[in-house]
Amino acid sequence: MISVNPGTSNLEKLDLHNLPAEQTALDIKNLNLYYGEEQALYDVSMRIPNNRVTAFIGPSGCGKSTLLRCINRMNDLVEICRIDGEIALHGQNIYDKKVDVAALRRRVGMVFQRPNPFPKSIYENVVYGLRLQGVKDKRILDEAVETSLRGAALWDEVKDRLNASAFSLSGGQQQRVVIARSIAIEPEILLLDEPTSALDPISTLTIEELITELKEKYTVVIVTHNMQQAARVSDQTGFLYMGKLVEYADTDTLFTTPAEKQTEDYITGRYG
Amino acid sequence: MKTWFKSGKPWIWLTAGSVSISLIAVIGLILMIGWRGLSFFWPAAIHEMSIEQADGSTRSLIGEIYDSESVPTLRVSNAGTIMDGYEEEEVTRYLMKIGNREYVPLDFAWVLGPAIRSDETPSGLAVIERTKDGNFYGYPIALEQQGEPVVTDGDLRTELFKRVERAVELNERAMALQENEIGAINYQLNQLNLERRSMELDGNVTQEALDDFERRREALQSEYLEYEKELFALREEAGRDSVIMRDMRGEEIKVPMYQVLDVNFPNDMGFFAKLGHFFQQIGKFVSEPPREANTEGGVFPAIFGTVFMVLLMSIIVTPFGVIAAVYLHEYAGKNAVTKLIRIAVINLAGVPSIVYGVFGLGFFVYMVGGSLDQVFYPEALPSPTFGTPGVLWSAVTLAILTLPVVIVSTEEGLSRIPSNLREGSLSLGATKWETIWRIVIPMASPAIMTGLILAVARAAGEVAPLMLVGVVKSAPMLPMDGNFPYFHLDRKFMHLGFHIYDVGFQSPNVEAARPLVYATSFLLITVIVGLNLTAIGVRNHLREKYRSLEQ
Repeated sequence: MISVNPGTSNLEKLDLHNLPAEQTALDIKNLNLYYGEEQALYDVSMRIPNNRVTAFIGPSGCGKSTLLRCINRMNDLVEICRIDGEIALHGQNIYDKKVDVAALRRRVGMVFQRPNPFPKSIYENVVYGLRLQGVKDKRILDEAVETSLRGAALWDEVKDRLNASAFSLSGGQQQRVVIARSIAIEPEILLLDEPTSALDPISTLTIEELITELKEKYTVVIVTHNMQQAARVSDQTGFLYMGKLVEYADTDTLFTTPAEKQTEDYITGRYG
Repeated sequence: MKTWFKSGKPWIWLTAGSVSISLIAVIGLILMIGWRGLSFFWPAAIHEMSIEQADGSTRSLIGEIYDSESVPTLRVSNAGTIMDGYEEEEVTRYLMKIGNREYVPLDFAWVLGPAIRSDETPSGLAVIERTKDGNFYGYPIALEQQGEPVVTDGDLRTELFKRVERAVELNERAMALQENEIGAINYQLNQLNLERRSMELDGNVTQEALDDFERRREALQSEYLEYEKELFALREEAGRDSVIMRDMRGEEIKVPMYQVLDVNFPNDMGFFAKLGHFFQQIGKFVSEPPREANTEGGVFPAIFGTVFMVLLMSIIVTPFGVIAAVYLHEYAGKNAVTKLIRIAVINLAGVPSIVYGVFGLGFFVYMVGGSLDQVFYPEALPSPTFGTPGVLWSAVTLAILTLPVVIVSTEEGLSRIPSNLREGSLSLGATKWETIWRIVIPMASPAIMTGLILAVARAAGEVAPLMLVGVVKSAPMLPMDGNFPYFHLDRKFMHLGFHIYDVGFQSPNVEAARPLVYATSFLLITVIVGLNLTAIGVRNHLREKYRSLEQ
């Protein structure tokens, strides 16, 4: 059986289906998503609580990354993609016409599957978002670099070569630069799209430890196809299958006493 | 055999073979042009030959052997030359450059091998480069100063070199005076006239202003007279000496020193002296303006014009091409219209360049330039400022010609940028434009440079459209000089490609021009390769910087 993160099990269990508004970071209501004629998400509804780590698991192609990318409207880039339903970020529908997408993405940061640092120095990578906002004060930038890199557990490794190219780092370090880059603009929510799938086991471990720390300041949503990882880092888990949210519960509950047959089949390795 | 085919070896041989053939063709071409062009600068020996003529008498011929060829004896005798006693089937014919253009009917002569009675390269034969009428070959026998013979204590040659050097220096000073000081005054006088004319056009001419103009004009005029006096003095100084030469007819000819550019005794030169002379000649070729209807002298204005025009074109074509490519690739909807536009752009590259020339003349020169003149330069009318072919219009025309290349390669570069970098930037709250400006374009810069390299390679060699929109045989002034605003984009310019055409095919003296054609071609190739290498250097530097693309 999969061992569940002991840190999480001590947390007070939340009633995920009747989560009070003040504890809800994201409220996804009846979300349907279509790629052209094909429907990729079916009527997904869930509430994601503040300052917790929520994991989406499921077999390849189940729509977990698609769901994640709805939260910061990355799917807008796909021309044939059409969405109905609603996602409320602290009560405000992000698919409202009046919403400024760039401003939304400043509030909802994202880390991708493959490390994607920009072809710039480590320093410039971290301050990229701040520079976009027009911050020019060297003191503020320096401070942000240190705080973010410390927050991403990378400061000690790179503090002497901040002006080196970000490509000179290892894959795991690059991924942490990307995390530092995201937290430099102090988002409310951090989306992690299979952040360790391109990394070696030791880097994976570092990132996983980092995720647990991050939830003190941010609401973290992570997509992973690695069930052990979901069990280790997350507080609650949603299982998606064929575009449907099959089950959404405390990680503890979901992995030990799943309510649905499909969930049980998946976590016991019968498919996926 | 069948297995050999199956093994794929024939394909390897085929592909390797075609690469080798291409390489051999390119290297062979460059070597051929380089050899024929560069050998022109090597000081050739001066031969003194005694030639038997049809009536049995002999005449003496002094000159360089320029070329030789074998022709069938039959053809020569059929042409009327008596070839009695000559049995061989082929006969060698030499082309001699005998110079002294004003004293002989033709400064080149064909000599049949069997007619040469004696051939030697005696010491003491000099070749004099002159500002007019080409080279002079002969023996220097005496020096004159203001018509009086100069007594030299034995060593005529040293004295000759000294006096030539003095004359050359004086000539150079006179030339510099004419170009810089007097040129500047002429320019200012011209500007003053334009200023006055524009005031008249505006209709607010006051007596005060007219007096002021008159005063300024007189000040410039008197300054001019000063310089002119100086110039005449320099010229007179330079004309003090002359050298008496004995030519191949045995006559004594006085060559005034102010015409002399250089004196050499190639028959008395050692290898290193020749080598030094060779590089000196090359230096002169690339740094001096042409003389005598482009058949003598250097090609500096043409090099300058070519490079200047190409740089100007790059400055124009790069932003336009990049902006167009960014729109097509990033913003335009992915539909049939965009596809159609893209196909149209690609096909623009296939339009014959002369068509662009006609378009440039009609649209840019007459329409745009004409309107500019009406609006901004009415004081100069009826003589046009921008409404006439010039370096700006040439650059703009070639920019349009090369635009498709830049657009296509930029688009290719844009499509190679990994989408996860764009997403990374967008996820940090960047707008699409910010992402393009900060991430996409810098990363596409190597591809943009590739487009520019191709554009430069195409533009630098293009001649046909330029003949309509700005190139001339001989431009009196460079498009850049010391007079404000320093860049004169309305001026006509010289171009190496056109220079080749002009020297090779429009020259009164084809034989004299031929090596110049090779030398200029070699230079044109060198310039293009130089421009390309610079651009490739920049591109490799950028590639190194954005190497992540290869991950």
